[in-house]
Amino acid sequence: MSVPTPESAALETEVLLVQRLRDRDEGAMTIFYDKYSAALYGVIMRIVKKEEIAEDVLQEAMVKIWHSFPSYDAEKGRLFTWVMNVCRNLAIDKIRSRQYRVGSRTQPIEESAALRQAAEPSFRPEHIGLQEMTNQLNPEQRQIVDLLYFGGFTQSEVAEELNLPLGTVKTRARAAIKVLSKLIR
Amino acid sequence: MNVQEYIESGILEEYALGVLNEVERAEVERIAREHPEIGRELDSIVRSLDAYAEAHAITPPAEMRDRVLQGWQQAIRETEKPEPSAVSASNGTSATTPPQMVAVTSAPAAAVPSPSADGAVVRQMPAQESNSGRTRWLIAASVALLVLSALGNFLLYNRLKETEANLEVAQTEQSRYAATQKAALNERDEQLRVLRNEAFRAVELKGTPKSPNALARVYYNQQTKAVYVDVRNLPAPPAGKQYQLWALDNGKPVDAGVLATATAAGDSIQQMKDIASAQAFAMTVEDEGGVASPTLSTMTVIGNL
Repeated sequence: MSVPTPESAALETEVLLVQRLRDRDEGAMTIFYDKYSAALYGVIMRIVKKEEIAEDVLQEAMVKIWHSFPSYDAEKGRLFTWVMNVCRNLAIDKIRSRQYRVGSRTQPIEESAALRQAAEPSFRPEHIGLQEMTNQLNPEQRQIVDLLYFGGFTQSEVAEELNLPLGTVKTRARAAIKVLSKLIR
Repeated sequence: MNVQEYIESGILEEYALGVLNEVERAEVERIAREHPEIGRELDSIVRSLDAYAEAHAITPPAEMRDRVLQGWQQAIRETEKPEPSAVSASNGTSATTPPQMVAVTSAPAAAVPSPSADGAVVRQMPAQESNSGRTRWLIAASVALLVLSALGNFLLYNRLKETEANLEVAQTEQSRYAATQKAALNERDEQLRVLRNEAFRAVELKGTPKSPNALARVYYNQQTKAVYVDVRNLPAPPAGKQYQLWALDNGKPVDAGVLATATAAGDSIQQMKDIASAQAFAMTVEDEGGVASPTLSTMTVIGNL
């Protein structure tokens, strides 16, 4: 959101949106959708893989965001970070739920995050592209970031899953995030 | 505290990834506020992951917008409805309670004909209040119990459904397994019938000098002309080749059919072509599908009746 408009203007619209949401202004949710749906939908899709499920998760997330908005604290972080976490958690809960796993019970779910690395075909060109980002990460780093971010694993769980020492996982995760942070600077 | 050590512990990444619990989160936030260096690091990590998330953006299909916004609105209407109805319900109970209280007040008032009126009222008030408080508490408790029990039923019902579904899967699997086993058993019975039948003569086919370890057995029924072959050990045929069985009748080779791969591997007994008369049997390696006359140089096993 911050790339096409100057940082301050983006911040201003975010502050206004937060204010309207805090005032329980239902119209604000339309603005919210227009502003965030692509980013949220993209990440949800990356996790659940199926369009109709992604749509359900997005809607559930919006309901949750609306209801738990009073607990959002702008001091602690950007609205984007908060809503992205809500969506990510719902999507991860979804793929971990029993219903979702029926039929693929023999495959560990980690497989979905670890192996299916295919890049989404459409990412918005005005942003730092997925390709550009992932090209900067080596495969091990990307695997770890994806397990952590899209798989909802803790670093210890990743270590166990990949059969690596915890220290190695931490080092790789830090290195990967460092690469990403250099890209957005 | 060692700032660098804390940064390298990986906890900031876990915070940003959302895997910490409430207490741990609050602790990270407190430490980040106290140490600007940690705060900056945390901010940078959060932004990096946000950017990574954004890089995955996919504009949802246009027709989704109305669906999701309408679905959202409907959902929040539905969740908001119970609240007003709960309020009206409690209004309802408080509306029905006062008449009871009036009845209660009127009874002692009638029983005690005008004592020092002030004292009576003062004494009765707390009793009424605790009484209605208890009623309200009892109603709240029973509503809570009802909700809990409904929730419990719902969970149990879901679990029952799940169990039923699992059972169905298991039963299907079991009957499929039984069917396969039965088919296999029938096949074995058939083979046993052949082996036990006295009319069948077993012919040992021994390896030729070319493959001395090769060994097979032919069961030949001279009355019904049926021929079965049972392989003990044959070298795997080259690609594109198959074993072919020949009956030798007065020195003349008669085609008895080719061996299926499973037969050649020794996995099962195979019925071959009927043979009118034979004094010996032999096997050669031929092109797939078999040939009209044997290639003698590839003869692998041979045996006399």
